[in-house]
Amino acid sequence: MDVLLSPLAGLQMDFGALPQQLVNGILIGSIYALIALGYTMVYGVLRLINFAHGEVFMIGCYAALFTSWAMGFTATGMQAAKPPTSNIVTLLIMLFVSMAVCSLVGVTIERFAYRPMRNQSRIASLITAIGVSLLLQFGGQLFLPPLQQNIQAEVNPFRDTISLTLRQAPASLKQEFKTASLAQKAAEERLAELAPPGALTSELSPEALEVRERLSELTIKSNSLRAQVNDASVFVVIQKGKLIMFAAALVLMIILRHIVLKTATGRAMRAVNHDFQSASLMGVNVNRVITYTFMIGSALAGAGAMMNSTFEGTAITPFAGVALGVKAFVAAVLGGIGNIPGAVLGGILMGVAESLVVWVGLSGYKDAIAFVILIVILLFRPGGLLGSSAVEKV
Amino acid sequence: MTTPLLSLDEATIKFGGLTAVNKVSFDIERGDLFGLIGPNGAGKTTCFNLITGVYKPTSGKILFKGSEIGGTPPNRIAEKGICRTFQNIRLFPSLSVVENVMVGAFLRHKTNIFSAFLYLPGAIRETEQFRAQAMALLEVVDLADVALARAADLPYGKQRRLEIARAMATQPDLLLLDEPAAGMNPQEKEELHLVVRRIRDEFQKTVLLIEHDMRFVMGLCEKIVVLDHGEEIAAGPPEAIRNDPKVIEAYLGEAV
Amino acid sequence: MKIWVVRILSIIGTLVAVFGFEFFMRGLVAQDQSLDYIYRLAVLAGLFVTLAVSLNLINGITGQFSIGHASFYMVGAYAGATLTNSLYKIQPLGPETWLFVVALGGAVAAGIAGLIVGLHSLRLKGDYLAIVTLGFGEIIRIIVFNQPFLGGSFGLNIADKNDKSLWAVLLLAILCIAVCRNLCQTPHGLAFLAVREDEVASSAMGVNVTRVKVTAFIVGSAFAGAAGALLGVYDGLITPDTFRMDVSFLILTMVVLGGTGSITGSVIAALLLFSIPEWPRFMVEGGKPWQVTGATLLAGAICLIVSVYLVKRTIDEYHGPQRTKTLRIVGIVGGGIIGTVLLGTVFGLIPVLANRTWDVGALRMVFLAVTLIVLMLIRPQGIFGHEEFGWQKAMKALRFGKPGANPT
Ligand SMILES: Nc1ncnc2c1ncn2[C@@H]1O[C@H](COP(=O)(O)OP(=O)(O)OP(=O)(O)O)[C@@H](O)[C@H]1O
Ligand SMILES: [Mg+2]
Repeated sequence: MDVLLSPLAGLQMDFGALPQQLVNGILIGSIYALIALGYTMVYGVLRLINFAHGEVFMIGCYAALFTSWAMGFTATGMQAAKPPTSNIVTLLIMLFVSMAVCSLVGVTIERFAYRPMRNQSRIASLITAIGVSLLLQFGGQLFLPPLQQNIQAEVNPFRDTISLTLRQAPASLKQEFKTASLAQKAAEERLAELAPPGALTSELSPEALEVRERLSELTIKSNSLRAQVNDASVFVVIQKGKLIMFAAALVLMIILRHIVLKTATGRAMRAVNHDFQSASLMGVNVNRVITYTFMIGSALAGAGAMMNSTFEGTAITPFAGVALGVKAFVAAVLGGIGNIPGAVLGGILMGVAESLVVWVGLSGYKDAIAFVILIVILLFRPGGLLGSSAVEKV
Repeated sequence: MTTPLLSLDEATIKFGGLTAVNKVSFDIERGDLFGLIGPNGAGKTTCFNLITGVYKPTSGKILFKGSEIGGTPPNRIAEKGICRTFQNIRLFPSLSVVENVMVGAFLRHKTNIFSAFLYLPGAIRETEQFRAQAMALLEVVDLADVALARAADLPYGKQRRLEIARAMATQPDLLLLDEPAAGMNPQEKEELHLVVRRIRDEFQKTVLLIEHDMRFVMGLCEKIVVLDHGEEIAAGPPEAIRNDPKVIEAYLGEAV
Repeated sequence: MKIWVVRILSIIGTLVAVFGFEFFMRGLVAQDQSLDYIYRLAVLAGLFVTLAVSLNLINGITGQFSIGHASFYMVGAYAGATLTNSLYKIQPLGPETWLFVVALGGAVAAGIAGLIVGLHSLRLKGDYLAIVTLGFGEIIRIIVFNQPFLGGSFGLNIADKNDKSLWAVLLLAILCIAVCRNLCQTPHGLAFLAVREDEVASSAMGVNVTRVKVTAFIVGSAFAGAAGALLGVYDGLITPDTFRMDVSFLILTMVVLGGTGSITGSVIAALLLFSIPEWPRFMVEGGKPWQVTGATLLAGAICLIVSVYLVKRTIDEYHGPQRTKTLRIVGIVGGGIIGTVLLGTVFGLIPVLANRTWDVGALRMVFLAVTLIVLMLIRPQGIFGHEEFGWQKAMKALRFGKPGANPT
């Protein structure tokens, strides 16, 4: 037990860093939420865990990467005499291509792998899903560019940050720091006057030696005061691009909400979600609903993929979808699978939980926290946070 | 006065706002052929679920052989000697007919699981013994000829009889039958009538049954309790029930 | 007593067969050192059979949707490795007897893990249970990853490895098959099957559903743990990456492909799925001519069966005039041939593809994935469905005694 708990001994909780971590968590959580939506929507209509959804995300990453290459953002292109510049249109093109490619892939997978299995046992469909997922991963490894790739940082035109100070350090402390650093500067100047730079100790006059002594004391003092000021003030630094990413994710979710609640397709989706059999008996074109579901869910994954690899700068490999897919799926279950607001909630919670784990200094356990939360939640609320767990009638 | 085999004492269960069974009390003596009737949704199946431990009563007592069983897990209740059939047939669909019945016999196993892992002679003997018992029960319900068929492949009427055989295999003192005649044609009902009588007379079981077919119940049961909206509205022998104005109203009220 | 005679004879028969195979394989390796990997393949095949059959006990026979079997494999492997590293030097047993100790140690450790997961199975059903078992596997893997004393991501070395342990692996596989098979023939096994079919009904019949589920998890994971321990001792190095999620998926696939609940199916699917990824290795890495031929023939046979099935299905599903039907079949077959030729030519024409050295690892996984999808599309209920008929029929035909003798 001791050994297991040993990492806990090194816990570090710097409360000044907490807001920053929370914000990071919420930002990345919005990406998890986008992907979780795909899992939840498919599960809602088909009761199928679409294991290939993570790979759809991966393909979205490559689609965005190739689009950026096509627009000249390659490693060599950036070194050219006149490197391409990026603006919002570049981003929109990438987003569009990524979403379109993903929808296409999602719909194709549904049509050729899942639809023939629809009347079979659920576990058989699940195995097919696993098969598709493996095929895309390793097929990707065969045909896609080897090594991990990154979208060029220059693609993101919003690299500057905004800083938000939540709490100022006390004025007296700041004043003290200012005096100390002024004194330090004065001592530095004095020393420069008395001794030319690079002079040996033996060549120095007694006064110079004394000033040097004082300077080192002052440096230590002002450094410690600087640390104190930093500790006492709380601020959050956010890259503008990530804010845009978050906003875009929100907009997409609002659009999704509108589709699900206000359109005929959305109504059909909800009907199928509620009761597949009755919906088809009542004349809902189930095949079309399922196609739409895959289309929308995959497009969201594509958007998440493009934004994650552009704004978060995550490296792209054929296996990039595995970890993220599992996390997003867990997020979906966490919120109550089949439940759309649940997926959003779960995604954000997941992002926050992860950054909290990093915050306490257990970054090695970052990928495990998702499952720990999941197990705990399922034990207390077997249907997930917003899901309902219906009791079987006998 | 002897203690009744089963007695419900103001048994009540609420699902949220709905009181599905409300202060129902009745006693069943050993050897009774007892009927439980009432319109749809009256709470009859819920009563069975209370007796067999599927649900825990919100209040009130359920005594079996004089000891409280309310809230005991279903498998413990089966061990104590109450077994049931299900209204919406719940067989083990991909097991064979005889295997279904053998599952019922399982609770009387003497060998432990390690002798099963190693297939020791004790386990082999027990398997054969249970199989023989199961075949004998299948004779009773006239299913011996389809013993090796998959349960799911049986027609509806035979599935209902298989449920009875499976429950009988636990060798219960009290057998609960939930709408055993539902979906049967008149001839099948006639056969079922004889089977139930035989279970009582020859095997000396006490039987509590739910049924919608009045002719069937009135012809079979000696005592009847009527539920409506979870409440007990009448109790007594069939003749008294037939003429009870409250019962007539409950049924007619439903028909209108 | 007759039964004991049969039992002892079949135990002796099993032992003779296992050790005969062991000596044959050792002879092969002694003759040609490069055949060492065949010995290794046999060991891994034996381990995967154990894994598939033991998962089948949980998944197929008891109906608990567990998809994290690699975690028990891993717990067993690390337990066995730690046991060997700490105790082997100071105990009197020889390397052969030690294998039993290690396997037992792995089984106990994994059994405990199985108990923990099994307790969760009481509250969770279906997909939820599945994701919890998967999560459990990931949690364990990440914990090990972060423990320096277990070797972290570099893995754990086992100083006293024993790479002549095929016999132990085979015995374990046979024991696992025998135990599951025996179980299914007794009322105890029927209780397990009943829980799979309908929990409510089985508890109404007096089956202690809790006990059945937990037992299934403990026994199933104990076998996986024993397999893991033997893997560790055979390989001499275990890393957390050996037990990733895809291993769990592979085992699950073996169970489903064989037909959930069918032990025979699990065994055959385990061997099939395990060997499929090995064929491209022969084909691409240019093995000996007989290997290439054999592998190509096997692959060809599979493709043939698959296409025959596909064609047959089109025939079955199409109700129309005979002429169109024939045309369709000709179309499918012809189209297939033309397509293959075209694809081959195109591949040959593109210099990048023609000269490309294929990543063998990826190629074999692609191969596996395609087989998986196609087989599922053709026969979703698995090769054997719920049945065991292959085994029983063969046994009956040979007038053999009760199958499943036990070397304990
Ligand atoms: N688990 C439950 N949760 C909520 N309500 C329930 C539950 N089980 C039963 N009910 C409700 O309790 C009432 C009684 O149901 P019950 O099944 O006992 O009726 P019944 O008398 O058996 O009717 P029928 O003749 O149709 O079988 C019904 O309104 C039913 O909807
Ligand atoms: Mg009822």
